[in-house]
Amino acid sequence: MKQRILVLALAAAVLTAFALAGDVTLDVKEHVLGNGMKILMIPKPGVPRVVCHVYFKVGSINERPGITGSAHVHEHLMFKGTEVMGVTDYAAESKIDAEIDRLMGLVYREKFWKENGDAAKIAAWQKQVDELVAAQKAYIIKDDLWTQYMKNGGTGLNASTSQETTGYYVTLPSNKVELQMLMESDRMMNARFREFYSEKDVIMEERRLSENQPGYLFGEQVDAAFFTASPYHWDVIGWMDDLRKMTKEDLVEFHNTFYVPNNAVAIYVGDFDPKAVLALAEKYFGRIPKGPDLEPIRTGVPAQYSEKRFSGEGPAPTSLRMMFHVPPDGHADTAALGVLAATLGSGGGGGFRGGMGGGGGTGRLYKTLVRDKQMAVSASASSRPQWYVGAFQFNATPRLDKGVKPEDLEKEIWAEIEKIKKEGLTEDEIQKAKNRGEAAFVRSLASTSGLASRVGRAELKRGWRSILTDLDDLKKVTNDDVKRVAAKYFVKDNSLTAIYTRKSGR
Amino acid sequence: MKRTIIAILALAFLCSGLGLAQAKHPSELKYPALTYEPPDPKAFRTVYAGGIRAYVQEDRSLPLFNISAVFNCGDLYVPKDKAGLGRVLADQLIKGGTTTKDGTAIEERIDFLGGSLNFMVGERTSTLSLSVLTKDLDEGLALFFDVLRNPAFREDPLKLAKARMVEQLRQANDNPSMVLNREYEKLLYGDNALTWQPAKATYESVTAADLKAFHAKYFTPKNVILAVAGDFSKAALKAKIEKLAAGWKGGAPVFPALPKGFPAPEPGVYFIQKAINQGYISLGHLGLEDTNPDYFAVQVMNFILGGGSFTSRITTKVRSDEGLSYNQGSRFAYRWGFPGTFSGYVQTKSSTVGYAISLILAEFDRIRREPVSDAEMETAINFYIESFADAFQSPIQTMSSFANLEMTGKPMDYPKTFRSRIQAVTKASVQEVAQKYVHPDQAVIMIVGDFEPCNKGGDKWPGPLDKLGKLHRIALIDPMTGQEMKTP
Repeated sequence: MKQRILVLALAAAVLTAFALAGDVTLDVKEHVLGNGMKILMIPKPGVPRVVCHVYFKVGSINERPGITGSAHVHEHLMFKGTEVMGVTDYAAESKIDAEIDRLMGLVYREKFWKENGDAAKIAAWQKQVDELVAAQKAYIIKDDLWTQYMKNGGTGLNASTSQETTGYYVTLPSNKVELQMLMESDRMMNARFREFYSEKDVIMEERRLSENQPGYLFGEQVDAAFFTASPYHWDVIGWMDDLRKMTKEDLVEFHNTFYVPNNAVAIYVGDFDPKAVLALAEKYFGRIPKGPDLEPIRTGVPAQYSEKRFSGEGPAPTSLRMMFHVPPDGHADTAALGVLAATLGSGGGGGFRGGMGGGGGTGRLYKTLVRDKQMAVSASASSRPQWYVGAFQFNATPRLDKGVKPEDLEKEIWAEIEKIKKEGLTEDEIQKAKNRGEAAFVRSLASTSGLASRVGRAELKRGWRSILTDLDDLKKVTNDDVKRVAAKYFVKDNSLTAIYTRKSGR
Repeated sequence: MKRTIIAILALAFLCSGLGLAQAKHPSELKYPALTYEPPDPKAFRTVYAGGIRAYVQEDRSLPLFNISAVFNCGDLYVPKDKAGLGRVLADQLIKGGTTTKDGTAIEERIDFLGGSLNFMVGERTSTLSLSVLTKDLDEGLALFFDVLRNPAFREDPLKLAKARMVEQLRQANDNPSMVLNREYEKLLYGDNALTWQPAKATYESVTAADLKAFHAKYFTPKNVILAVAGDFSKAALKAKIEKLAAGWKGGAPVFPALPKGFPAPEPGVYFIQKAINQGYISLGHLGLEDTNPDYFAVQVMNFILGGGSFTSRITTKVRSDEGLSYNQGSRFAYRWGFPGTFSGYVQTKSSTVGYAISLILAEFDRIRREPVSDAEMETAINFYIESFADAFQSPIQTMSSFANLEMTGKPMDYPKTFRSRIQAVTKASVQEVAQKYVHPDQAVIMIVGDFEPCNKGGDKWPGPLDKLGKLHRIALIDPMTGQEMKTP
């Protein structure tokens, strides 16, 4: 009874925030639990389904050399059960698991700490581990959390790790939201990383899948060269060496640091009663103890003071990539850079894959380089502000049948840049970018999981209202802003140019 | 309305449970009842003047307007010497302009309005889709019908499109999964319109006259179904569409004969060399059509075998137990008017290629030999039933799926009867369809990878690969010429 009164009082304290963009509102109900965890709700009456997402403010930028890839490895391990999920007899199973970890600790030291480790010792320990793994299987309920979600009609079931955030997703029938609250809060508190070693093998296969995408390895090196010092230096998947050598202790430490309620947002979008969902949130997420405050990333990008050039060969199309450092998300110049990317790029790189036609032909680079001069198969621009360090990027593939080289396209893009520094864009182009931003916002409200993802992630950094203030900032962009940011950021000493040539090999 | 009342009751029940103790395990949770009736296609179907069929839903929640036109038209109706015409058409219907506007002007205008206009050509259906804000409904709809009825296929944009597509042919053998999918289908379906690939010569042979003739034949009011959803009144929309479609002529086209009589390729291993560090693998044979009465049992069977993600046997064995791969499973692909394919699939490091294949073949065999468990049945059937409402979350997608159902001649009570037909699947019918549609002894095993390490194998499954069946080496096709390349 006492608990119920508390719940009602809290429900009354929920803030309802309306924010306007044109005639359309983004209405997010928000509440902060006592432990600092944020609960966001967007009711959309209709089909009785609820998108349930949990986001953590952690990603590969929270790693360091030696444990690169661990945010993503950790995300995989979150599906391996808890003290009550994924196991029939936790007491018996955990003893075996601890022994596996002890032996693997010996194996890792022998293998990775010594230059000439004793192969016989390693083989003997590994044999013991194999036997223990077989014994442990008797207690493991395979992919229990996944099965529970599936048999209760869970769709969109997944998790993903980016450089900045990690998300856990499921869409459930409206009457089963409690299942998500129970299992997500349980794994926040009690995740047990069983099957750690075979899961690392899975992730190394995942990395190989990337490696076998033509051009991936070169792109990974280019990013590493561009983001020299900041933790955007490595890809989310991590370096193979680190995947091989990281230990379960690394992951437990990672979990205890970042998977705390004050570093998390849960968001619900769909057909539900906010009061009922909030009461469940109090009951399940509310029980998790608050963790220490977390420090933001320390290392930014030091000024280059000289141009960077990069070249490589491999089994992907001959291409040009030009990158410029720009400020992070939320900076006063972000909106003008977005207008520039939309106007220059406008999706001019795509249009063919999967028989897709139409669109994409209105970017300046497309019109100049693809259509009029017929020098490029595709040409595009994009602006990625990111949370801590941003990048503005040009991509183009030359018309080899006309003897065009990536260097020729580089000259053309610089000519376009210099023109923009002087003249800026046309009023029509700027208005077009604004219209597109506004329409894209309205369209985003029609989705459910897309909206959850956008609002949930935005909340982690600058608050969900930043979606609306960014739109306001976009509407204020002038041609002077465009000229100013072009002059400020599109300079050689702030750039990296990468030229890739098709050759056989990797 | 009925559903709303039940939902409110359900929430009241939910709230009444607030004082209860926290559950520790999902088995302790009790869920309030929830019923859901899917929308009935009949309630949305309408026929406009000129015989244009449409599925239309008013949805006033946001100031958006969405319309799609689905045509019975696609790559299968293109002759071999014009292979790629569908891709050119997909690009040029809009970029080639109309009789009164050039393509750039159309694209610029749609972009300026923050809208989107896309055309997609598939195997037997092609779809033109428009999305604009409600305030731009009239202008957007007029552009939509202009593009649909009066494409001009101007020479300059056509020349550019063909040149770009020929350039892009250089990438045809870059991506291992694209190579695998293309060659696997070629092996299973043989040499016909299902597998013809464009080459430089076929792209270059496509003329504006070809596109005009193709358009004139298939873009007729009798050969289209519209799907519309958004912020409008049905009556006003009817008037607008009938005005824009006035005078649109043309009956139902005569369609070319469809391929039939597919080869039965020799079972065994088919290897395509590529210097990568994994083998990309598909193994299987032709499957069935989704109009087959066994479809529902096949869906449940495949969910258990390898379609149900982490709850499926192949994922549990190959990924979770053995750590061999990130992506694996089995699938039945369906096509309109033909049997689709059945395939197991996995990508794994070269040394475990043979081992992963052997594990998948063992699962093919097991599901034929032994009845599945009660728990597996419960998970599969509950998944389909409990997640059913998911398909109807977006009004435009719902209208499009109704239009596609009608276009492909499927029974229109499919949504209404889906759950009871899934519910009717039994353990016995699962085993029966496994024996009928899964044939490990007839499987072709196609691998794209680096031959030496794949053939050598590893500790748990030493090679050579011909232990799995007769080994065939397949040469890649030079995408420019369409001829076999000389190197292995």
